[in-house]
Amino acid sequence: MKQTRYSITKGDLNLKNTTAALALLTGLSSQVQAQELNALVWCDHTDPALIEPFEEQFGVTVNLKEYEGTGAGLSIIEQSQPGDWDVLVIDGIDVPRAVEAGILAPLPKDQLPYDTLFPELVMADNHEIDGQVYAISEKFGYNTVSFNSDNVSAADMADMTRLWSGDFAGRLAVYDYYLPVMGMIAVGLGLKTADLKVEDLPAIEAALIALKDSAESVGDIVSSQTAIATGEVEILVGGGEFVTAGLTGEMPQLDWVIPDQGAVRWSQSIGVFADSKQPDLALEFVKYILSPEGQARLATSSCYWAMPANSAAGTVLTDEQMRALRWEDQAAYLARAQLYPAPDAELDAAMQDVWTRFLAH
Amino acid sequence: MTRFAISAAYMAVLYAFIFLPVAVLVLFSFQDGRFPIPPFQGFTLKWHLEVLSDEELMVALRNSLLVAFGSSALALALGFLAARGLATSELPLARTIRAALTAPLSVSYLVIGLGLLASLNLAGVGLSLWTVAIGHVVINAPLCFAICTAAIGPAQQQAERAARDLGAGEWAVMRFVTAPMIMPALVAAFLLSVTFSWDEFIIAFLLSRFDVTLPVEIWSLLRSGLNPKTNAVGSLVFLISALAFLAFELSARRR
Amino acid sequence: MSLRIEDRERRRAWALLAPAVLWTAVFFLLPFAIMAAMSLWQKTDDGIERTWSLVNYMTLFGNPTYIEALFNSLEITLIVTLLSILLAYPLAWIIAEEVPERYRRLALVLAVVPFWTSYIVRSYAWSLVLAKQGVLNTALEGIGLPTLDISNSRAAIVLGFTHFFTMLLTLTIYASLTQLPPNLRRAAADLGAGPWATFRHVILPLTAPGIAVGAFLSFALCIGDYVTPQILGGGNDLALPQLIMLQLGRRADLPMVAALSIVLMAVVTLAYLVVARFMKVAR
Repeated sequence: MKQTRYSITKGDLNLKNTTAALALLTGLSSQVQAQELNALVWCDHTDPALIEPFEEQFGVTVNLKEYEGTGAGLSIIEQSQPGDWDVLVIDGIDVPRAVEAGILAPLPKDQLPYDTLFPELVMADNHEIDGQVYAISEKFGYNTVSFNSDNVSAADMADMTRLWSGDFAGRLAVYDYYLPVMGMIAVGLGLKTADLKVEDLPAIEAALIALKDSAESVGDIVSSQTAIATGEVEILVGGGEFVTAGLTGEMPQLDWVIPDQGAVRWSQSIGVFADSKQPDLALEFVKYILSPEGQARLATSSCYWAMPANSAAGTVLTDEQMRALRWEDQAAYLARAQLYPAPDAELDAAMQDVWTRFLAH
Repeated sequence: MTRFAISAAYMAVLYAFIFLPVAVLVLFSFQDGRFPIPPFQGFTLKWHLEVLSDEELMVALRNSLLVAFGSSALALALGFLAARGLATSELPLARTIRAALTAPLSVSYLVIGLGLLASLNLAGVGLSLWTVAIGHVVINAPLCFAICTAAIGPAQQQAERAARDLGAGEWAVMRFVTAPMIMPALVAAFLLSVTFSWDEFIIAFLLSRFDVTLPVEIWSLLRSGLNPKTNAVGSLVFLISALAFLAFELSARRR
Repeated sequence: MSLRIEDRERRRAWALLAPAVLWTAVFFLLPFAIMAAMSLWQKTDDGIERTWSLVNYMTLFGNPTYIEALFNSLEITLIVTLLSILLAYPLAWIIAEEVPERYRRLALVLAVVPFWTSYIVRSYAWSLVLAKQGVLNTALEGIGLPTLDISNSRAAIVLGFTHFFTMLLTLTIYASLTQLPPNLRRAAADLGAGPWATFRHVILPLTAPGIAVGAFLSFALCIGDYVTPQILGGGNDLALPQLIMLQLGRRADLPMVAALSIVLMAVVTLAYLVVARFMKVAR
């Protein structure tokens, strides 16, 4: 082994590089930084267009770590030292879990834009515990069906069960996240996402497996976007404006619809860590994100677009952006969408097992 | 068909296969539009310029260089010293030690990264570029050790003995006798380490937090939205690495 | 007197070895032991519970999905290793034997230039090539051939891997071919062996160690890789590393991750034991 590897770059050179390297190495320790805010977030928060204005205004550095899924987020927190984190972005339905674990601090309700928040997004059951607010909605959207209107029509998508009937074999992709897609299928099967039980899973799994037989691919946001934008597939199950809105400028034929059975509404919330060492700055960050400007930037962030929770963002967004977000239709959509499923640990584990089998199928 | 023609055809097919993805990548990095698929819509340098002005990518690039050169220097030091240690004296456990030192070569990077992650968690050590560098030393020190061991032969040992007989201290022997004699091997080991660290993803992904290396940044670029910058950054990385490699090749040739 | 010199030499040797040995012990062997221990613990809602049991392994081997992922990985890896050897050997041979000497180095360098693209980007580039309306299909259509539907599939994973390991194996096989004594072939011919017999009975056995080293390297790197199946598989196939990253990213189940890693290690070790027989020939 050593012989062959050595021969790859056998040659005669001098070692100037090493000295240069050592010089660089000392640079490792010389990173002195200003006041820092550590935020554990979803990928849409990593857009510099969103973060930089805040950094400039307060003269601070915002360190961002993105995660996927509440389980992973909570484990990152578990593995950190107290005081490591200041701001948390978390799935709206998982806020109670975080509060129970003592992660979040109460927020001053009077300093937050409750009067312009979409009423459906107040979600007091999730955000308020014993009269205290612990987090506030910042962005929401739907896990439903995105499609290419050159190939299929909104009418084709009206009956969700057609997706796994084989009618669209080889023409659809599935977004790779178990909660929304399984919640959506539950809605399609006439179940209530709020009352989902382990006993419901076999029926959902059967539909999922049938769906997989029709699916060309299962992927994260980017590969889903790529698949539908490049014509690889015509339908994206689990998609919504978060997939298509950012692309409509170039591809007006990309569309999305909520089937007759309904769809799943997702929302993300933001809060401040109970053990934050700079709660005031953290609160300023939350206020910035909830401000009309912050909301508009968050809604059109590079990772994915979606509706801002604060309707005041409408004063900042352009008409074109509002059209892409379907601002006008939100009232109708909100009425037809159910909340994301919020499984307990046992159901969550069972759902993940189903999803793993779905991926492996 | 003559034998020569068959060989030439085979080479042509394999080179085409080998270069296909790179050619496509570079071509579509100039695509004027958001979708990196045919038809080719026109030539633009927009995406390359965007990459160069993307601060996060540039910071990641700097981090990658720091980790690559820093960890390789340490890996080379550890590997070289150990190789000399085993070469100069008959030790009772030599075979076991040799096996232990080269063992990481046959373990998946994923497993090495996960092991370190689990251990750092237990020890309560936070993740940073330092932990990434530690991981890279773990994978590269065995490589340096193996290359140095292969290079230290009887000729070096005789020369060392001669130097010692003339009264040279241990440090002087190493500095003025062994190192110059196996300099090509040292350089090769160092550069290989740099290459491996520079392109390593999974350990850097598992063991970093806010400061990330270039492959990790490219990974999140890939995952965070359809973005033609991915093609551009890929082409630029290829250009830099390939040029460095070719320069190394040419200079090695000329001598 | 001589004994004292030997003692001193030994002490010096130990001092030189100490940093590397310590480093390996603390950052490689210890983590490995910790992972082995952790694979016997369990993840609960409140974190990791340190009670010893084989429950993770029982879950693992009792779950058809996990077993399938293991076999997917094995199958992909074996096909890739074999395919890469078959593609790389002739190329290495042509470079070593038929390319004029002054172009040989250039030919070899050209064969590995794409090595220097970022690993992730290389997989991503293959996804562009193989996409349903990608470069390959556009080209096939252009010359009137039927298009290929292999994006997001096991075939795409195999192709992406084979690309990488063909380059790697061309290097290792080339290295072992050039180490053959040049007059060996003449000797074989003098003894009446034809070209095929020479290859079969002389050259192949002598290059077997080089192939074995390369094959093992490919096997170990391929079976532990997460990036290629994740980017090229399109979620249609689950490989062992993907399963590991799912457990880590979505469930944060470190004990199960540890157990899966130990299984992965065991498979690589088995492969090593198989290949070691061939590697020994040269020693």
